[in-house]
Amino acid sequence: MSDPSHNTEQEMLPDGVVLKEHSYDGIQEYDQQLPRWWLLTLYGAIVFSAAYWLVSHYYMSSLTNEQRVEKEMQAINAIRLTNSIDVSNDELFWEMRHNPAFVLAGEKTFQSFCIPCHGANLEGGIGFNLVDSEWVHGAAPPAIYNTIFNGVPEKGMQAWGDMLGQKRITEVVAYILSKNNESAMRKSAASGE
Amino acid sequence: MGAGVLIASQLNSWRVNFDLPWLTFGRLRPLHTNAAIFAFVGNMMFAGIYYSTQRLCRCRLASPLLTKIHFFGWQFIIVCAAITLPLGYSRGKEYAELIWPINILVAVIWLVFAANFFWTLAKRNEKSLYVALWFYIATIVTVTMLYVVNHLSLPTSLTHSYPIFGGVQDALVQWWYGHNAVAFFLTTPILGIMYYFVPKAANRPVYSYRLSVIHFWSLVFIYIWAGPHHLLNTALPGWLQTLGMLFSLMLWAPSWGGMLNGLLTLRGAWDKLRTDPVIKFFAAGVTFYGMATFEGPLMSIKSVNALSHYSDWTIGHVHGGTLGWNGFMAAGMFYWLTPRLWNTKLYSQSMANMHFWLGMVGILLYVAAMWVSGITQGLMLNATAEQGTILAYPNFLDTLQAIRPMMWCRVVGGTFYLIGFIMMAFNLWKTARSGSPVNGSIEVESAMEEMVGDTNRFRSYANAPVVYCFLIIASATLMIFGHGASFLAGVFLTATFTIAAFAHFEMSGAKWGQWYDELLKHGLTFTVLTIIAAAIGGAVQIIPTVTMQRADNIEGRLQIPYTPLELTGRDIYVSEGCYNCHSQMIRTMTPDILRYGDYSRLGESIYDHPFQWGSKRTGPDLAREGGKRSDEWHFYHLLNPRDISPGSNMPNYTWLFTKDAKTGTLESKINAMRMLGVPYDIGLSEEEIMAEYNSQAAEIVQRLAEKGAYTEPQKQIVAVIAYLQKLGAFEDKDAPNENTTPLPFEPVTSTQP
Repeated sequence: MSDPSHNTEQEMLPDGVVLKEHSYDGIQEYDQQLPRWWLLTLYGAIVFSAAYWLVSHYYMSSLTNEQRVEKEMQAINAIRLTNSIDVSNDELFWEMRHNPAFVLAGEKTFQSFCIPCHGANLEGGIGFNLVDSEWVHGAAPPAIYNTIFNGVPEKGMQAWGDMLGQKRITEVVAYILSKNNESAMRKSAASGE
Repeated sequence: MGAGVLIASQLNSWRVNFDLPWLTFGRLRPLHTNAAIFAFVGNMMFAGIYYSTQRLCRCRLASPLLTKIHFFGWQFIIVCAAITLPLGYSRGKEYAELIWPINILVAVIWLVFAANFFWTLAKRNEKSLYVALWFYIATIVTVTMLYVVNHLSLPTSLTHSYPIFGGVQDALVQWWYGHNAVAFFLTTPILGIMYYFVPKAANRPVYSYRLSVIHFWSLVFIYIWAGPHHLLNTALPGWLQTLGMLFSLMLWAPSWGGMLNGLLTLRGAWDKLRTDPVIKFFAAGVTFYGMATFEGPLMSIKSVNALSHYSDWTIGHVHGGTLGWNGFMAAGMFYWLTPRLWNTKLYSQSMANMHFWLGMVGILLYVAAMWVSGITQGLMLNATAEQGTILAYPNFLDTLQAIRPMMWCRVVGGTFYLIGFIMMAFNLWKTARSGSPVNGSIEVESAMEEMVGDTNRFRSYANAPVVYCFLIIASATLMIFGHGASFLAGVFLTATFTIAAFAHFEMSGAKWGQWYDELLKHGLTFTVLTIIAAAIGGAVQIIPTVTMQRADNIEGRLQIPYTPLELTGRDIYVSEGCYNCHSQMIRTMTPDILRYGDYSRLGESIYDHPFQWGSKRTGPDLAREGGKRSDEWHFYHLLNPRDISPGSNMPNYTWLFTKDAKTGTLESKINAMRMLGVPYDIGLSEEEIMAEYNSQAAEIVQRLAEKGAYTEPQKQIVAVIAYLQKLGAFEDKDAPNENTTPLPFEPVTSTQP
């Protein structure tokens, strides 16, 4: 193998570049100035980090992660409250039940989340049958809404409120109502009280 | 690597899990990561270190016996790992899954390697240490420290133990280890190998000695601090998250220093790039190193991390490093080394070129697919609708279906890469067959005589640069921990010492250079300084966390300890490797809260040995799974997830229904837990424990039977369901004792400035 120093002796080294004399198993090293952009990146990152630390921890009353996210959740809840639907109103649900926009949207949500337990035709499975005119947790539309929103943990019904939000759940209620006989349901809701 | 392609297929098609316990993703993924790190890169690095160290020290390895023990011991460890991990023997901590007897074996063999290396260093016939050796020294001492601390555990039987750290402490220690396994097992030894083999192959001098000095020390010092960037937006205390992010940003330049030194050494040898496969692999490998070390700091920025964490982006990032950097450097080294070891020519240049292009296309497919997949899923999971009040894609499975094509892309890319490596193995085997092993003994003259007499250990410690570094770091630590006056003093002193050091250096630059040249002649002093530089970051972060973040000091929510049945279920969860796909950490981000419930508090996992916060969400988070769904939901879901969640890629866990849970060591497990600080009653007898176990199991079995799901109390499934239903249970130490369930959103008290 040719000696590497042989190659390098022939080329002219630019100013400020030194070829160190010592050779390790034939390997030599230049000693040269570091690229300016590299030094700027190094020093820049160090200065930025020191500044960021000072600012974030001492000079601004910046929020902790927890405080920030709680504030954001409050803002979200404020919007939810502003846009909230009157879910205690029976008639509102029956109106939705006759509105295809609500029923179709509800069907989509139902297919995505509910059929594993309640079946594609609402015939039940792990969860209750929803078309057998038997309403264990109440037949009134607001009761159905509550069951979905808050769940019935001891019976294994999950609370869907946070995940789906109010509007999607009212749509699902409209869909379930549309699969049931209106007068029979009104009757059992009234007698259930 | 074959394991990698298999598990990548499993993610796409649940059938590839074959319904066999020892072939499921959760058990094979640990095998894949351990094999890639410790078997593939480990063996490659030992070969590179042994070859180059002998030549850089101009002497033979100190002890052929130690070398043999090291080689056979390490291969024995790999065999043990390949047997125990698929059988489900696991500590449940990533890249640290091996059980404690194997841990001890690893430590012993590693020390054999260290002894052999330092002994060789001691009898060297070369005055000063070449930069490759600096990196080897840093590797050996730091990996020893990391491995030992992260593997401290309390055995409960011959095959099982609990890590001594729990919850947030365990999380911090784990990622201090996990991140620096990348730093000191996958980076520094490969950099050392680069510094030997790249100049050799290119026949060019190294680009800059000065750059070597600066990037070596900054890399070793800074890397250790960056671990908490794996825990951004979690329950980890904020100051640690900030440190993790900032030190990751500062790491960018030092990492690129290594890349520059590698690439610019090739300057003047670019013509060989067309003809020489070795140079091709090295150039591409170093470029991938640069890419991965640019991506790393980027992903450590808190807001980027909110998108990228738990997603495939991270997976793409590590594969860019492992396949691109480690894999290509290994290939280049093998192609260079084999002909020289057997004194012959490479069997086929064109096959090596073919390997290069196959590998390159493979990595690019893989990494690009993971970028697209990670960013797509991250965006979908975090997307909200209706003024941010609800999730746009509330069904986790929708986000999984969206990335399926990308997951196939990754299988194709990985297969290409694997084929390339098989071609290499064939090529090298043919090469070796065509030659005969070289006996490389040569006469060297000792250059050590002139050194005798100028050894003054004290002077190499008490020197201007070292003193300045010490003063600056001490005052910066004061700045990090101090409040009020001591904090201001910290800021002032840091600035003063920094300016003083610069001024001093400008006035006597040559002398500092001389001092460093002297240092390189003192192997021991160099090693001690390296240990100190590498230890500081871990000490500053871990010692306060381990002493302060204990259950006694927790305010607010505190985890309720597991019952014997739940603990048994948890051990099954750990052993099946569920944490490879399911996190247990709801981050302080609104999309996480909307999807999984209130964000996780530090105290809610404080008794978890090991912690199970996870690092990837192939499935949804389970931190608040307890009580969300019914027992029979879990029953049917574990039997066949697709019955409940159509489109799921989770394996069937049918054997949970047929195998009995192991309860024989439950007493020693609970005793171990109590010793680690979990408040179990003292002196519980085995009968009492089993009575509690059986009564809880009987309740679950009865509840299931009422719904038509039949099983027996001693089966594993009962314990797993008990554990899953316990997840997220806590008591609130601060709450007045009212009969209220905790509100999902607690009122904010002191956020107004």
